[in-house]
Amino acid sequence: MKKRIITCIPALLLALIVGLAGCEKDNRTEPKSVLKGRVVFEGQPVGVRSNGVQLEIWQRGYQLFTKIPVHVNQDGTFAASLFDGNYKLVRLRGNGPWTDNTDSIDVELKGSKEIDVPVNPYFVVKNDVYSKGEGKVSATFNVQQVAAGRTLERVNLYIGTTTIVDPNNNVGNAQEVAANLTDLTKPVTLTVNIPAAHASRQYIYARVGVKTSGVGEMLFGMPQKIMLK
Amino acid sequence: MKKISINIFVSASLLFLSGCNDWLERKPQNIILEEQVWNDPKMITGLLANYYDRLPYHTDLSHGSNGDINAINREGWQDFAAYDEAMWSNNDDARNNLINYAFDRWRLWDYGLIRDINLALENIQTYAVKLTEAQKTQFSAELRFLRAYVYFEHVKRMGGVPLVTKQLIYNFDGNPGALQQPRNKEEEVYDFIASELDAVKDQLGNGTSNTRANKFTALAVKSRAMLYAASIAKYNGRMASPISTPGGEVGIPASRANDYYTKSLEASEEIISSGSYELYKTNPDKGVNFYEAVTKKSANREVIWAQDFLVSKDKRHGFTYDNIARNVREDNLSSSSITPTLNLVEDYEYLDGTSGELKNRNAGNTDYVYYDKLQDIFANKDARLYGTIIFPGTTFRGSEVQIQAGVKVWDNATNAFRTVESNVLGSVYDDGGLLTGSSGPQRSQTEVSNTGFYLRKYVDQTAMSSTRGIRSDMWWVRFRLGEIYLNAAEAAFELGQNANALKYANTLRERAGFPANSLKTLTLEKLQNERRVELAFEDHRVWDLKRWRIAHEVWNGNASNPDAVMYALYPYRVVRPGHATHGKYVFDKLVAPRFRTPRFFQMGNYYSAIQQSVIDNNPKIIRNPFH
Repeated sequence: MKKRIITCIPALLLALIVGLAGCEKDNRTEPKSVLKGRVVFEGQPVGVRSNGVQLEIWQRGYQLFTKIPVHVNQDGTFAASLFDGNYKLVRLRGNGPWTDNTDSIDVELKGSKEIDVPVNPYFVVKNDVYSKGEGKVSATFNVQQVAAGRTLERVNLYIGTTTIVDPNNNVGNAQEVAANLTDLTKPVTLTVNIPAAHASRQYIYARVGVKTSGVGEMLFGMPQKIMLK
Repeated sequence: MKKISINIFVSASLLFLSGCNDWLERKPQNIILEEQVWNDPKMITGLLANYYDRLPYHTDLSHGSNGDINAINREGWQDFAAYDEAMWSNNDDARNNLINYAFDRWRLWDYGLIRDINLALENIQTYAVKLTEAQKTQFSAELRFLRAYVYFEHVKRMGGVPLVTKQLIYNFDGNPGALQQPRNKEEEVYDFIASELDAVKDQLGNGTSNTRANKFTALAVKSRAMLYAASIAKYNGRMASPISTPGGEVGIPASRANDYYTKSLEASEEIISSGSYELYKTNPDKGVNFYEAVTKKSANREVIWAQDFLVSKDKRHGFTYDNIARNVREDNLSSSSITPTLNLVEDYEYLDGTSGELKNRNAGNTDYVYYDKLQDIFANKDARLYGTIIFPGTTFRGSEVQIQAGVKVWDNATNAFRTVESNVLGSVYDDGGLLTGSSGPQRSQTEVSNTGFYLRKYVDQTAMSSTRGIRSDMWWVRFRLGEIYLNAAEAAFELGQNANALKYANTLRERAGFPANSLKTLTLEKLQNERRVELAFEDHRVWDLKRWRIAHEVWNGNASNPDAVMYALYPYRVVRPGHATHGKYVFDKLVAPRFRTPRFFQMGNYYSAIQQSVIDNNPKIIRNPFH
């Protein structure tokens, strides 16, 4: 038995050496630079659906040319960990609630950097004010058309139990279709009833959104925490 | 030293001489050579069976969904519950929580199968010396049919793909440029499919087989493919911003629509007028008849092309085990995975031609409508409802599927009903009557319906077919005459031949129990609804909504949109002793409790994303729009 172990020693030593070297030789350091940014219109971040809208980052000069997808958070911010280098940031066509603009934005990354990505939405929500009633939440806001070329489809007020509020994550919503919104200069008021299951909550989050017809994604205001008690 | 070299020389010469020995000249026992395969019709048939088996699928009976990102096909039967025909009531809630459809959903890039078919076509010409010319022609025709079908499966998912019709051979010169084909135009692929099917349809043979391709199978594929091409040409052009690429890889010019509709109609009419097939009308009970039209394997001249299974040959699947109604299941696990939604049930019209919304409340919406029996609310509906869906008050395999959510107890103090439900299946209420049915529905339990409906179509009637030990050999119908009638109706309607279109649509509706000439006028919406109810759970819904370019409107991710949200119907027994309504049944419509996120189909879903690795290997491949 002992003899067998002795004959195995070289092999064991080799395994040990390989095992140690494995952590040294063939692993790169992870990307440490961070590209942060906001998608903005008139200097203000644009609210979108969480996990929906995507920007692309491209880097030329390497054999495999593929995009780095960057999802925009619901408050319009985004962040990507990258290696230092020159990148092009592209607003993917037909992806967000804004007009297509295929001009890429050059980003020279050394360390970390913050940039603003300007977009030109079709419709925006302005002056949104929220109020609570008995078992209800209301929002009053203006809808303003910015880019021409598309029509309004509807506006929604969503309420949810967490700060992530959008068509996919909500406990209730109210809607007004464009046919009933003839005069966009007047403010729109939407009221949503809080479902019975959530009536006794301390607080609820509310958020308004506007949908342009023919564009998949909606544009939102910022989620608002409303104290019910 | 010298001695050693002599030794080596002697042994080497011995080796050399023994090379002429017969002992080393034997035929291999474990390899089949090309010459053997291509000169033996039996082996070629075996090879063909393999190709038939590898045909791409989306939702069928035997393939499960695959989470592997590199799998050639990733959807399977579970994805019937991912659209608006059904929701998922078994374990896990993935398909009820789809935030949106991924861009790589429906992705297909199966050039392995295409290469195998191309190789087979070339090898038949090279090696087949013992086959007759007729056999060669027939096998080649069948291979070309399969190749055309595979390209159709590609083009409806990906848009234009490279049309490779010969094997590509690399000569190792370090420059693979010659092998890198760019994508063909979308219309070129459809034209290729049409011309291939035309070329081979008269050489296919196979008599009246409904599992191997014959002349009418080719026509059926042509009927469907041309209809898809036509509607993409027409309805893509009508979008506010048509989906297209500059090179035409995606998007068909609107000017081609009529040509494609005409080709589709010709193919459909050739099948209908041939007399080889007829609508299945054997059973006098219209509902059961419709179930049998799809599922009966013998004496059924409606089915044109099916993928068959056979228990005795161990070719079987677990679709029935996973989808049978809860209280008639024969195994101690699973059941009730795919549960049809109220959305689909209400799309089945009433026989008097009125819209199919169920009347669970009175006209003023002040009170329930009270029904004597559970099934009364479904009275006088399209018989196809019975043949497709198990609804409250009906039977499966002769036993009642007991669907009741609970009881509504009248509370004199509040002057309103109090709802009592139990999470014990088959429980009894205080008055000795049934509380919750042994098949649910249940709001949060798994393996029991969440919508109040169960699937009937494709669920096997055979005893013990819902056990894991035996399983089912229900066949999967790829094409049947019912679809051809609808294809003909749609193409005729689009070409302005209204009388013809009405004739085809009404023929099909008559079988479903409608009176003769039930439709007097035709709109596209009516035809869309006909397709939805006739072809539910036959893998049509997604492709139809895509080609009409309405998927992004029907499934727009809006929680207020009744089409994007899946609804359930919960039946209750009324407990109100001494009152006329005591013991009657009422129904609640509600959003299916386990359904969380509205269906959301984005513009980028019309054409699926091409894998990055494909683009890395072939820079000439351009991306689809929005990706």
